[in-house]
Amino acid sequence: MTEKNLKKTDIGESLIQIKGLYKYFGELQVLKGVSTEIKKGEKVVIIGPSGSGKSTMLRCMNLLEVPTYGEIWFEGKLLTPVDPYLHPEIMRLSKTYKKLITEAGNGDYDSQGKFDAEIIADIKKNDLLKRFEGKDYKSAIKKFYKANFFNVDKTRQKIGMVFQHFNLFNNLTVMQNLTLAPVELKLKTKEQAEEKGMELLKRIGLEDKANVYPSTLSGGQKQRIAIIRALAMEPDVMLFDEPTSALDPEMVGEVLELMKELANDGMTMVVVTHEMGFAREVASRILFMDDGIIKEENSPKEFFDDPKDERLKEFLSKVL
Amino acid sequence: MWDSFYKAVVFQDRWSWYLEGLGKTLLISIGAIAIGVFLGIIVALIKYINKKFGNFKIGAKICDVYLAVFRGTPVYVQLLIMYLIVLVFLPTIWVAILTFGINSGAYVAEIIRGGLESVDDGQIEAGRALGLNKLQVMLKIVLPQGFRVALPPLFNEFIALVKETSIVGTIGEVDLTKVAERIVARTYEPFVPYILIAAVYLIVVIILTKLLKLMERRLAKSDRKKS
Repeated sequence: MTEKNLKKTDIGESLIQIKGLYKYFGELQVLKGVSTEIKKGEKVVIIGPSGSGKSTMLRCMNLLEVPTYGEIWFEGKLLTPVDPYLHPEIMRLSKTYKKLITEAGNGDYDSQGKFDAEIIADIKKNDLLKRFEGKDYKSAIKKFYKANFFNVDKTRQKIGMVFQHFNLFNNLTVMQNLTLAPVELKLKTKEQAEEKGMELLKRIGLEDKANVYPSTLSGGQKQRIAIIRALAMEPDVMLFDEPTSALDPEMVGEVLELMKELANDGMTMVVVTHEMGFAREVASRILFMDDGIIKEENSPKEFFDDPKDERLKEFLSKVL
Repeated sequence: MWDSFYKAVVFQDRWSWYLEGLGKTLLISIGAIAIGVFLGIIVALIKYINKKFGNFKIGAKICDVYLAVFRGTPVYVQLLIMYLIVLVFLPTIWVAILTFGINSGAYVAEIIRGGLESVDDGQIEAGRALGLNKLQVMLKIVLPQGFRVALPPLFNEFIALVKETSIVGTIGEVDLTKVAERIVARTYEPFVPYILIAAVYLIVVIILTKLLKLMERRLAKSDRKKS
């Protein structure tokens, strides 16, 4: 109990904000209006059935997937284009704001600037924006964008990402994998980067593998090296996209162990996983995603012991 | 037998004609390979980057036309058109080098593009997720890996090119094949000259193959599996 309390006090200001995210792959709608916030020090675990959009949402956080509508903010900086529907003050400038609402069906709009997700989807689908855009409106969007936009590559340096299939660079040795980005981006000299790399390798007990190529490593070793490759950039937040799904069962443990260590060190983490034990033990908050939206969002205890959503109850009965 | 050999090789220092012919063949081949690789890399990169990142839309269209035209017509016809219509103001040796180079470029482009596309998307994503830009990802990750895959078919293309140059006699360049033709025209004994030049082509190709083996061995380090 005390451990959980400690975790809660660590949580600080907002790191990643996801606002009204929609993602289409052609006709297929993967995300249908997702909004959430990742705060500093939080360990957020996202679970859900396959095809629910959880990986897509995670990949949107560092723009590996560009959302169709909606905005991603990282440390107060805008990463995506402006979504005018999230900024009523801009919409008002165009003088077509009211018209948009009425044409969409009904005027369900409150002073915080929140639409009903369904209405937004409808407006966007019919693409009314294109028909009504005016000069004022365009320049307002531009102004807002310029004031808040930040270079995506620079932002990604602060967001570590771990993939299901490790994605170690096959043409480079383990040490080169660790040092490539810090050196290439001029964050460290080669010597500094190698020193840091060695320190990280020692931490996971693989210092003897520094000069071998990834093809000679086991899956668990690869994934742990992928994790410290992200750590070598000294990120503010780490995203894990099903980090143990491609591993042999006997190797899952070593990867989860390392992730738990990171969590205890206070790293902000967002983890998409099917490892319920890990979620229960480490998470400060669990999101349940299904059919492109967040169905339930709760602390691990409430989440597993007292699920409210019907779909979640069904899901938990199958996996637990 | 000695008599035919004497007439085909020794008489009037004819062996030096073969050497000159081989020199021309090699000059045209190497020049064409240089142009072909240069063009091929550019075209492959434009097409690959257009596909992966969406830049260079018009450039990719132009590349498609180039590939269709030069892969869709015989190199013999291209040579005649270049010599008689397009590049009339250039010396024949340049016409030969340029034509074979531009033709080979189309094939090299497709080979390199294939190599680049064989690189797993995850490699690019991992690079981008670390904050590397498109250029850095291309130079440090995609190109080294794609080049490794493209190397064997690339050497196949070089080998084909060396042999293809044997048609430059049509536009009056005296390469190895043309030398043999000329000597046969004087001696009326085709056996020695043609077998001889066949052997010379074969040796050139064997040297190229050895070179490929050597390069492959150097690049194979990252591929060795745990035994």
